[in-house]
Amino acid sequence: MRGFLSKHRRPSGFLVLLVAFALVPLWVKSPYYIDLLVMTMVNAGLAMTFVMLLRTGLISLCVAAFWGIGAYASAVLSVNAGLSFWICLPLSTLITAAFALVIGYVIIRNAGFTFIIMTTVLALLFVTVVGNIKALGGYNGISNIPAPDSIGSIVFDTKVDFFYLGLVILVVVVLIISAFYSSWAGRAWKAIGFNPRLAQSIGVNVFRYRLLSFVVGCAIAGLLGSFYAHYQTYINPNVFNLFPKTIFIQVYAVLGGAGFAILGPLVGAGLLTFLTETVTVVVQDKAEYTFMVVGALVILVVVFLPRGVLSLGEYFAKLWAWARRGGGRDGGPQPEQTLKSAGAAPEEAEGA
Amino acid sequence: MTTPAGSSNGPLLRVEDVSKHFGGLVAVNHLTFEVEEGEILGIIGPNGAGKSTILGVISGFYPATAGKVFFEGQDITNLKSHGIVQLGIGRQFQASTLFMSLSVLDNVYYGFHLGYKTPVWNRLLRFPSALREERELRARGAEILDQMGLGAVKNEITKNLPHGHQRILGVCIALATDPKLLLLDEPMTGMNQTEIATMLELVRGIRESGITIVMIEHNMSAVMSLCDRIVVLDHGQEIAEGLPWEIRENDQVIEAYLGKDEFLLDD
Repeated sequence: MRGFLSKHRRPSGFLVLLVAFALVPLWVKSPYYIDLLVMTMVNAGLAMTFVMLLRTGLISLCVAAFWGIGAYASAVLSVNAGLSFWICLPLSTLITAAFALVIGYVIIRNAGFTFIIMTTVLALLFVTVVGNIKALGGYNGISNIPAPDSIGSIVFDTKVDFFYLGLVILVVVVLIISAFYSSWAGRAWKAIGFNPRLAQSIGVNVFRYRLLSFVVGCAIAGLLGSFYAHYQTYINPNVFNLFPKTIFIQVYAVLGGAGFAILGPLVGAGLLTFLTETVTVVVQDKAEYTFMVVGALVILVVVFLPRGVLSLGEYFAKLWAWARRGGGRDGGPQPEQTLKSAGAAPEEAEGA
Repeated sequence: MTTPAGSSNGPLLRVEDVSKHFGGLVAVNHLTFEVEEGEILGIIGPNGAGKSTILGVISGFYPATAGKVFFEGQDITNLKSHGIVQLGIGRQFQASTLFMSLSVLDNVYYGFHLGYKTPVWNRLLRFPSALREERELRARGAEILDQMGLGAVKNEITKNLPHGHQRILGVCIALATDPKLLLLDEPMTGMNQTEIATMLELVRGIRESGITIVMIEHNMSAVMSLCDRIVVLDHGQEIAEGLPWEIRENDQVIEAYLGKDEFLLDD
């Protein structure tokens, strides 16, 4: 058993986390907190796609826009075409992927700064375009998006049902992302993020792999968008705007630690989703104060923990190892030094 | 890749009347030379002679302004760098271009990019075939490192390696792409005498394993002792070509290098 655990440490760790998380609704009954947990899962999934693109050296500011494409596709398909959620979900994912393929094909040729500007423009364009299309409800959005049809005895009428649906979707997303990361595709992405020239010289088609990560990332955002639309039953274009949504998505990733592809977004999204709500309650719904407090906190984390909250774990692990070796007597690294090395050296991949 | 018929007795690489302009700057000017299978060809010349540029053109990093490049009889002039690697031209970079935050073994392991066959899902579901492929490639990576004398440091983080080892690792990554032709861009720059001696041995070893080598190098005694044939460039043009001793006695070459202490041979 012990050998098994140490051999499959990561999958076992995630399984324990998953079970613990799945048990939360057993003692948290408040729909308000369940709602926050559902949004945490959606936000974490979106942040994971942001990190995925970041790994290949692409900083995408239109994550929320593709999230919106998925949400709108699903809303239109279910409200106007009367399709079931279970058909809308895969269909809207494919539609988002198709959009990503066409758009990515044009904008990824110029990676770097141009790409950032292009995605910013796209993010703003999405809101304006959707807001001016009457058929999509304009800025009023689409309401009365139906809940998923029941499967057997499972009826989706409470937030807890959506919590479990969201959890299943998040697990699928994590599996898809880790499948890519653990394969040659993920290694090619990392190679591009580290050094595009060297990646080319080992035979990586930089454009194709960047496009792959863009399409996969956007498709996942679309999948989450479909879920979000049916969960909220109401969407409007401003939800998918650059500010605050995409900015927050980045902050989730950076706060948790962009070097941690799965756990970083989970921790970051969890912390910030709850923190934003708490601050909003404390400052009594004055949104600008919320952003100020959250912004100040993010600056603190970026300055003192540039590799995210999770790098604290590495720091404590090093501290623990140092203490076990008998403190400073054997001339091992001092805690201050380890803190520096744990915090100060972001991976080159993130310096895109 | 299959070799086209009739190319078996032709040169492995043929650079035909290649020019490369950067804006108004002519870096390479109507250059023609051939590389025979199994040889070590040295390209020398003063700074700015176009040596690195021609390697960039061969490996597809710079598109040629004019002329053609043939590899095994196939026109590769317009191929992208990743396509050219696939055909069997590996390259090492002038600066220490490595995956600095990965371990030494992982650097070579990443270099096997073209060697992976397993689909994405098989790896996630931990299919035995996928895991076996990874084990095999890791073992091959360790083998390459052992052959190149880096076996002892294979678990080190790359940025902690001394300069000489980083240079060798660059060659190891290129070897992982399973090249027929290896392009080395100043592999001995910044190395001390011992490191240079090691590198000479390693390059000879690579040639003996059947890989043809084109090398740019400033260290003259190294070039003279290592290369079978030498092409001398100046201002983007070939000014001489021949055996090392012919180059050493060539008036034009001496003139091109006049006053440059790098050509003051130590013999």
